[in-house]
Amino acid sequence: MSSCGNPAVEAEALMSRRLKFDKSRSCVKCKTNVGNIVIRHAVYCKDCFTPLQTTKFKRSLEPSINPASASTSGPRRTKLKATGNLLIGFSGGLGSTVLLDLVSRCYISSNETVENVDGNSKPRGGTKHPRNQSVWMEARACYVEMCGAFPESGMRDRTDEVRKAVERYNGFEFVSLRIEDAFDSRWWASVGGRDQIRERDLGVDLSDEELLLSSLQHSSDSSPLAALQKYLSSLPTTTATQSSLTALTRLLLLYTALATSSSHLLLGTTLTGLSIGLISGVAMGGGFVVREEAGEEWEPRISGLAGEERRIKVVRPLQDMGMKECAAWVWWNGLEVVGKENVVGVKQGIGGLTKDFIVGLERDYPSTVSTIARTCAKLAPKDAAVERCVMCERPAQRGVQDWKARISIRSFNSPESEMSIPLPPHIQSAIPPPSHPHHSSFSPSLTPLLCYGCHTTLTSRSSRGTALQSKNLSKSLTDVIAPLPVWVSSRLLDSVVNPGGEMRDDLGGDAWQSKKMDVKEMRDAVKDFLLED
Amino acid sequence: MPPRNCALCANARAMLKRPKTGQQICRGCFFYVFETEVHNTITEAKLFKPGDKVAIGASGGKDSTVLAHVMKTLNERYQYGLDLFLLSIDEGITGYRDDSLETVKRNQQQYDIPLKILSYDELYGWTMDAIVSQVGKKNNCTFCGVFRRQALDRGAATLGVDHIVTGHNADDIAETVLMNIMRGDIARLGRCTLICTQGEDTIKRSKPFKYAYEKEIVMYAYFKKLDYFSTECIYSPDAYRGHARVFLKDLEAARPSAIIDIIHSGEAFEVREEVKATQKVQQTCQRCGYMSSNELCKACTLLEGLERGMANSAITDRARKKLDAEGPAPDNLRTIPFYRAPSAAGPNASIAVEAPS
Ligand SMILES: [Zn+2]
Ligand SMILES: [Zn+2]
Ligand SMILES: [Zn+2]
Ligand SMILES: [Zn+2]
Repeated sequence: MSSCGNPAVEAEALMSRRLKFDKSRSCVKCKTNVGNIVIRHAVYCKDCFTPLQTTKFKRSLEPSINPASASTSGPRRTKLKATGNLLIGFSGGLGSTVLLDLVSRCYISSNETVENVDGNSKPRGGTKHPRNQSVWMEARACYVEMCGAFPESGMRDRTDEVRKAVERYNGFEFVSLRIEDAFDSRWWASVGGRDQIRERDLGVDLSDEELLLSSLQHSSDSSPLAALQKYLSSLPTTTATQSSLTALTRLLLLYTALATSSSHLLLGTTLTGLSIGLISGVAMGGGFVVREEAGEEWEPRISGLAGEERRIKVVRPLQDMGMKECAAWVWWNGLEVVGKENVVGVKQGIGGLTKDFIVGLERDYPSTVSTIARTCAKLAPKDAAVERCVMCERPAQRGVQDWKARISIRSFNSPESEMSIPLPPHIQSAIPPPSHPHHSSFSPSLTPLLCYGCHTTLTSRSSRGTALQSKNLSKSLTDVIAPLPVWVSSRLLDSVVNPGGEMRDDLGGDAWQSKKMDVKEMRDAVKDFLLED
Repeated sequence: MPPRNCALCANARAMLKRPKTGQQICRGCFFYVFETEVHNTITEAKLFKPGDKVAIGASGGKDSTVLAHVMKTLNERYQYGLDLFLLSIDEGITGYRDDSLETVKRNQQQYDIPLKILSYDELYGWTMDAIVSQVGKKNNCTFCGVFRRQALDRGAATLGVDHIVTGHNADDIAETVLMNIMRGDIARLGRCTLICTQGEDTIKRSKPFKYAYEKEIVMYAYFKKLDYFSTECIYSPDAYRGHARVFLKDLEAARPSAIIDIIHSGEAFEVREEVKATQKVQQTCQRCGYMSSNELCKACTLLEGLERGMANSAITDRARKKLDAEGPAPDNLRTIPFYRAPSAAGPNASIAVEAPS
């Protein structure tokens, strides 16, 4: 359209820059002290800052602790009692450092000598008083070491530094994971997953858009680390690498929460980080799960070690605190931030671009980040979820592949779509279906089990990514088949090994009826590759 | 590297890399998939029925020029049975519309589609040149946008058409999704990915190009040798371009599917029921009968400001209050003719208004 039809034009009036702070220099809260920090146009002094942030933190967290805590009447604190333990996702970054500190002050160390927020060092009413009983019986902080994902960057292992940071607080057990655990069947067994026979592991051909499944042939180096690196290097874009690492970390934390009988997984996502996550999620096709980005309740497919059915609440209690407030919290409380290492190339991906964009906007238009979060909180998925994606285990919607096939035609005989597309006038004879040199003609595909976002992650290429594609053309079968995270292959194999299992229920209903793969086909096909009996 | 074969038909030489998918394909396949995707968009949404009178909002720019070509092609290929019209708005910007209106007039002859040109001057008594001389260049796009929207509806009403199709492309829509999230415009966010919008008494409006990439529209025009004018409004080169547009281009460079992925996101969510209940209800403008969320529609407010020499009154709330403080609008104020949508005027009214030549 012409530039007058530019939808951005109208925004000018709305997004006018305001003064960075109000004219008065004194704290808006106590009106006496000189202000020390400007938070979205308002000035606060250091004394008022701490209770303000603590209140925001509790307001975000406490309603989700148990049903009684969500009620608005009466004092909340005495009613707080979680049904399970606590797991904090601790990355060593700014947000999780503040989160650990706040959780410790408000809920863990009230029986300890550490000064609590109210300023008194002894618990009032004795330790038996309901106020002083722990909200969670046990608390853990879990760190996922990422250096295995970047073998060429020389990123250092920071597990020990992070361990020390956690050990500064009383009452937290330190749980140490590595990102390659996502490909480790021993880790999977340790969180309650069934230990599959290694030889039966499934892989996927990421060099081909159809995402056909194959058995994984084990080369000499079949360590979890090698599997992770193989998986990451098979992904088509920088964006895919980053979003996959985020997804792997999320599932590692969730399954760890399950294994530790945790009812809550807390993440140190700041308001800034949340806005970045929301916008990049939308840009990666994740509109359907926009609510999960701010907070979700996850129901595991496996029953975990305790064997009971559990739901885990993922809460981001810093989602009303900006990056700047977190930095001030760290500074004024003398906390040490281990920090994260910069990874080369991150800026070229959608996540990195969004971060730059949002952080830049926040500088000029300080209310943008809260507007983004508030807007997304008003949204809900349009349709009911029909399934959960095998990869990210989030709700997935119906008809995604048909939608894709309709609006970006990638083949004149698309197997994923019911539509028949008449041939263009310049084509006289029928086009033979594409041949897949590496697969039998009935190989099952991962595609129908994926949500829109995960399918896009695995298949969408950039013009920079085509080198990889052509490079893979000449490779042999063993080279192109990438391993899958343990929870994915476990679920695929469950259905093959145990046909009465849940996957048939998932696939057999109306929901996926129009799809290429049904369980029987899949079993017949996979049998050729996998089953020895 | 040896010449590659088309990834779609495998028997012609690949001529281009498709911006939307990255596939290397031949020219014939490109035209075909581009047109077929638009056709799929139209049929999936059941946009038209045989006998519909459809006006193509034609500016002479790339989107609407290609849209006219594709609508004509698809209407014949798939026998939609549509009566097509070209509808152009002359904003009255010297040296800007003259050339592009020539393009539209040529399209009228090439495609044998009747053309209606409606001018701001005729409708509002103000050309954009005159508006700019009063308000300056800063806010003129607000005027232009508001006036154009009404002008298209009013032009369509005179033609007696049922439906206006516009050239909004996938880039425009993706950008709007991002902008609406960033500025918290929840009402527009819910609407902006709809292919077809219709207020109670406005004419249906659709975007058959909602999944078409801007780059592919340009490519289509290039290979089909369609001439169009790059309609860079002469008043807006320094206007707020939108951080969102730059950001979107970066995203597209990182991963070309980003544009379509954003639209998919926008289609997957909706405004929560509890929030919907608090949204403003549409009413009609007391002065001109056009749909409005306030007593006076935006166009009437802007026009009143212009007439009373306080043109910025509709840009900010504060300025509007100042205008109100000056007293009520004088009786002799020039206003927009009262709007009657064809559907509001009873059955068969659309045919009775004015038969196209
Ligand atoms: Zn104060
Ligand atoms: Zn997924
Ligand atoms: Zn071809
Ligand atoms: Zn009006």
